[in-house]
Amino acid sequence: MSAHVADAEPVHWLKRFWESGPYEWNRALTKPQVLFSLLIVASAVPFVLQYVEDNSAWTGAEFWIRILTTCAMYACLAVALNLVVGYAGLLNLGFIAFFAIGSYAYALVASDQLHHHLPLWSALVTVVAVTLGFALLVGIPSLRLRGDYLAIVTLAFGLIIREITIDLDRPPVLAGHQFGPSDFNLTGGTAGIHMVDPLQLPPWVPLIHGAALQSRTYYWIFLGFLAISVFCLLRWRGARTGRAWVAIREDELAARAMGVNTFKYRLLAFCTSAVMAGIVGLIDAAYIHNAFPGSFDIQGTVLVFIMVVLGGLGSIPGSIVGATLVTILPFVLQQLVLYKYVVFSIVLIVLMIFRPQGLLGIVSIRPRAAMGGTVELLTAESAIEASELPAVTDRDAADLESASGAIVAPEPKP
Amino acid sequence: MDYFLQNFPQQLVNGLEAGSLYALIALGYTLVYGILEMLNFAHGDVFMVGGFLGAGVAVLFVHNGVASIPPALIVALMVLAAMGGSGLLGVGIERIAYRPLRNANRLAPLITAIGVSLLLESVVQVQISPAPVLVPSNSLTPQIVFQVGNIATPFMGATLFVAAILLMVGLDLFVFRTRFGSAMRATAQDREAATFMGIDVDRVIVVTFLIGSALAGVGGILFGLRFSTVNFFMGYLLGIKAFTAAVIGGIGNLRGAMVGGLLLGVLESMGGGFISSQYQDTFAFLALILVLLVRPQGLFGQPLTDRA
Repeated sequence: MSAHVADAEPVHWLKRFWESGPYEWNRALTKPQVLFSLLIVASAVPFVLQYVEDNSAWTGAEFWIRILTTCAMYACLAVALNLVVGYAGLLNLGFIAFFAIGSYAYALVASDQLHHHLPLWSALVTVVAVTLGFALLVGIPSLRLRGDYLAIVTLAFGLIIREITIDLDRPPVLAGHQFGPSDFNLTGGTAGIHMVDPLQLPPWVPLIHGAALQSRTYYWIFLGFLAISVFCLLRWRGARTGRAWVAIREDELAARAMGVNTFKYRLLAFCTSAVMAGIVGLIDAAYIHNAFPGSFDIQGTVLVFIMVVLGGLGSIPGSIVGATLVTILPFVLQQLVLYKYVVFSIVLIVLMIFRPQGLLGIVSIRPRAAMGGTVELLTAESAIEASELPAVTDRDAADLESASGAIVAPEPKP
Repeated sequence: MDYFLQNFPQQLVNGLEAGSLYALIALGYTLVYGILEMLNFAHGDVFMVGGFLGAGVAVLFVHNGVASIPPALIVALMVLAAMGGSGLLGVGIERIAYRPLRNANRLAPLITAIGVSLLLESVVQVQISPAPVLVPSNSLTPQIVFQVGNIATPFMGATLFVAAILLMVGLDLFVFRTRFGSAMRATAQDREAATFMGIDVDRVIVVTFLIGSALAGVGGILFGLRFSTVNFFMGYLLGIKAFTAAVIGGIGNLRGAMVGGLLLGVLESMGGGFISSQYQDTFAFLALILVLLVRPQGLFGQPLTDRA
């Protein structure tokens, strides 16, 4: 293959990169040096915006930093969802509920709602424990179900969590019996919980002065969490755990036959993703000083799903690109006012029709009917051109047939 | 206990009324799932569009003072418009958003379905009305309340139930007694094998969408006439409930969807009436989870396909 390139006239490297396809794009984008440079560039953006604002008449720095913070938050969520959907192939339609649980758990231990103001680390432990508890509660019974049924159970779970967050502002009355005192108010109902503590970061953390954290600080915090998540996911991808996930996604029966404890690995993926979402919920509650049920509608899950599928299932850079596009697009379409969701949904449908595998997608390009491996498994090194393989001749076929007892068809002669 | 005995029949009637609406919409989910193994998330919004089409016809005739036209004719026109409109809409959605992705991964059509759902909702919201639209059901339907003992049900409530039962029986006969019905069942069992048997699978899928969407359209009208109002987001929660009903009954199974719908309606009304109206929706979803955990294939009978 490389010989062909050398013979041909020199092609611009960008053109070559463009033509190398999603697999190579993903590989290039997940190289440590590339990711690290991207992280540095992304961290520097607030400074650049601030500089431009200070030296020109433009005043949009704060506005754009807030949008970027939202992008970073959704990127964290998309990466977490990609772990469970893209890696392990589990359709978790109640994903946003774990984000909600994280938010509410933090809001309950760090606000006047229950008069607790835990320091950050204890709050973090609480949030992780609570989301993990819920994930196990849902995961242990439902992960034994097959594909679509898991989706439905998690969907129902998400809807229940939302109902409960709305209804637990007064004592539950069941069959005429009231549980709890009359002034019972856990979640604040539709109004949610206000005045949630901002993150209490230790004083040695750089760039943070004074008590009030600016939105750019949260941008860096989200970015930091994103970097940690991406690092972990990429490490897992090549490790035993990640390979087990991919094996389960591709063919559960075959994975089990190979000795993979499918239930254990599915539960692991489900819980890890849920805890990640819970931590993002914690940071978000601290960032907006609020936890309220409006943000945890099923639309929330749908939004993150759109980001992941648009970016490409199983592709970490794809998730980040998807999250950024889907977050920024409505702002860009702001001039269309009323028509922004009309245009947004049309763009979504058209993109899916022409690129069902997503922008950077590498998973399951083949139709469902012809399962049995995906392009991702054929790495560039191991992919062998069909022409390089010796053609199966009649004699080979006969030998193989007698050896294996199977019927092997020779390739038609050209 | 007295309270329970006194109110039980009324709650049962209320539940059957809500349940027949769930069942009508659930049929569309179950038909499409049975044949394409696809969760058609836009179905609830097809129901909503049906409701709006009916409301449009009603408003057109009633508010323009065409008093000479008998209400029955107007209702017939509404049904025609909504069934035709929703049916064609369903076929259009299939053609544009689902067919190109029939061989793609499972999630791609799910995302386009969500896109279509969002599109329908936002188009209706922007182009027609962001506020609820009133349906002049007072001048279209008799304002009778049937009273049997201490059970009361308005005329439209009873109509809703009867219409739903008739439509379901009709659909059942169509699927299990006609030649085209057996082609549908064959496609559901094995699409490829059905092709080998000379069945035009594309046509089967188009007809499936046509029937499911037309039923949803009728549901939309019945909803509008019963509650005198339609809004652009009504397809969302009702769609999810109907989907829940389809799954409880065994998704892919027609009779299961009907029983599941009625059961869900009754369950909700009992839970809301006797335990806590606050947690009415929670009961529906809890029931769904419990059913799935105990019997993943749903409550009733064999699924239409034996893959599910």
